[in-house]
Amino acid sequence: MKARDILPLALLLGALALTPLFASNLLLNFLVSALIIALGAQGWNLLGGYGGQLSFGHAALFGTGAYATAILQTTFGVNAWVGFACGIALAALTGWMIGFLSFRARLRGSYFALVTLAFAEVLRILANAAGFTGGAAGLLIKLEPSFANFQFASRAGMLWVVLACILGVSLLTLWIDRGRFGAQLVAVRENEDAARALGVDVLATKLRAIALSGAITGAAGGLYAQNFLYLDANIAYGTWISVEVLIAAIVGGLGTVLGPVVGALALHGVGEVTKGLLGWMTGVDLMLFGVILIAAVAFVPAGLVGALRRLRMRRATP
Amino acid sequence: MSTSRLTITRRTALRAGALLPTLAMPGLLRAQPAAVKIGILQPLTGALAQDGDLGRLGATLAAEAINGAGGIQALGGAKVELVVADARSNPEAAVQEVEKLQAEGVVAIVGGFASPICLAASQAAARYDLPYIVDVGVSDQITARGLRNTFRFAPGFGMVTGTALENLVRLNDDAGKPCKTVVLVHEDGLFGSGLARLLQAELPKRGFEVLETIAHPTPARDMSNVALRIRSLRPDLVIPSSYYGEFVLLARTMRQQRIRPKGIYAVLNGAASNYRFVKEFPDAAEAVMDCNHWHDPRSEEAKALKAKVDADGRLWAYNVPLNYSCVKLVADAVGRAGAADRNKVIEALATSDFSGHILPYGPTKFVNGQNQGAAPVNTQVQGGDIKVIFPDAFADAKPVFPVQG
Repeated sequence: MKARDILPLALLLGALALTPLFASNLLLNFLVSALIIALGAQGWNLLGGYGGQLSFGHAALFGTGAYATAILQTTFGVNAWVGFACGIALAALTGWMIGFLSFRARLRGSYFALVTLAFAEVLRILANAAGFTGGAAGLLIKLEPSFANFQFASRAGMLWVVLACILGVSLLTLWIDRGRFGAQLVAVRENEDAARALGVDVLATKLRAIALSGAITGAAGGLYAQNFLYLDANIAYGTWISVEVLIAAIVGGLGTVLGPVVGALALHGVGEVTKGLLGWMTGVDLMLFGVILIAAVAFVPAGLVGALRRLRMRRATP
Repeated sequence: MSTSRLTITRRTALRAGALLPTLAMPGLLRAQPAAVKIGILQPLTGALAQDGDLGRLGATLAAEAINGAGGIQALGGAKVELVVADARSNPEAAVQEVEKLQAEGVVAIVGGFASPICLAASQAAARYDLPYIVDVGVSDQITARGLRNTFRFAPGFGMVTGTALENLVRLNDDAGKPCKTVVLVHEDGLFGSGLARLLQAELPKRGFEVLETIAHPTPARDMSNVALRIRSLRPDLVIPSSYYGEFVLLARTMRQQRIRPKGIYAVLNGAASNYRFVKEFPDAAEAVMDCNHWHDPRSEEAKALKAKVDADGRLWAYNVPLNYSCVKLVADAVGRAGAADRNKVIEALATSDFSGHILPYGPTKFVNGQNQGAAPVNTQVQGGDIKVIFPDAFADAKPVFPVQG
């Protein structure tokens, strides 16, 4: 890992960490929401971007992290931080189990995508019916701002925690990107049979990726629960989060360290700015969201980070 | 040495006269009190957009009424200014909008519509001691959290279901107990599931036999299977608890398949008290009963407001009078507080006995944020109109029950 690799990451996260010094709560709240999506997108990117296993059901992992964090606190009186850590572990386990069941059956491409979607939907229906999740009425974490409760009186506290998570995941992704595991993942993505022929344990590689992806997306779920303090089945396991993380990673740049963060911030940022400028036109931000998505897929298939990288390389070439 | 004489010509007097109002103007400007900003948080886009739009309409009409009557008198005629925010039908967008409304300096927020939005938004508002008035959200969790900033003027889930059961028994008893068997149809979300559980437990105690409980998702594109199941079970009464689209589908399918129970008794239904349903599908809507929010049909102000909404070609639904009344409640509380100060407004709301609303409620009294005077009413579609059949104090029609095929 060279300093040049870490520089853009340090600059972006450093700038974001300093925003509470001058920004309003409105901006901080927006950043927290967008960065939670970014963290989930980083989890998706590890499996989908690096590993080529496109999941449509990351809500299963997000929701497990969120519910575990909330239920352990509200029902069992476990400390919120401990609940958050358990949520990450449970989401990793859920990811591993989904992977074990589908990868062992050699499901790939759209089949894998559909199976993940089905897992998320099954979990949504179960969470909606079960008593311990609060059923359809949902779960409410009591508002008691204190560090011990993982609730912060100022928005800055949550922003820094989310940024710390993103920093940790970015460093992990960078390490994977430069290491043997990353190479194995890319090999599996490009040609599974060739990777197997080269001695890569394809199943183990995919399982490791989906478990890690689960842990990261589960962390995003736990942070969501602590930030909004309310969950129901449609929030935790709804298709919205599966779509949001997928879009953020695609728009930002698949298989890049900063892509998901840049994608989430760009998409949500443009939406908020449009809403601010054209607030009288209800839904204009959502229309623009759609236009950007279409434009990104059509004209910048490598995502924003990929496009920036290409621009830099073109400038560097005499 | 010369002496000057001050002579006032006609022209000078006219000039002075013309200048006088200009000189007085700064004083007049100073006397004009600052507008009181009220945040209106509604799901204006997404799945709940229709309800959000109706809520905004009610709030806008209230602001027009207050300003038209000279503003908030206790604040020297201060005008009410609405700051509208779009909750996009999801809780996290609602929280973001609360931050926006906080930055705009609103004195209180009214709205939310759906319970998850109300829960998340009122909690976000609590961080700033920003009064939050729930317009519709019925979840009992909303007022059970002990948040001092959160008030619900309308009845909650427990209150509505209790009244619905009580009135159903009374309706059946008054008609000589024609209904003994019931089928419950409910959406699998917050309202439907909770209600079905409660009715399953309570109806047998009141002499009804629950033949089956049928859950369906939202959105559901086809209710044929549910209708066929009802046909095979042949219940006396069908109790549906669904959103607009699903109930309209069910009622239409039942009509098409000639399934005619002795009554359709809805609770907190999205369509049974909706003029759109009544106008578009009058046959399917006829005689459907509902226990829900509604305006006071005997109130002259409510009648005039409904006439205005009808004349403008807009839809009248319970969201309109609820939001209308909630905005007036806030304006009244600001007047009682004597200032647009949030803490004083919270205190004024907590001790309010506001009576300037258009809802069929008893005296306003907030206990833990819940208005104890709030109550639902039973409505029934009769002759292409929605009539109130219970309670007697507010009724404008007698119930048609049992329904003759």
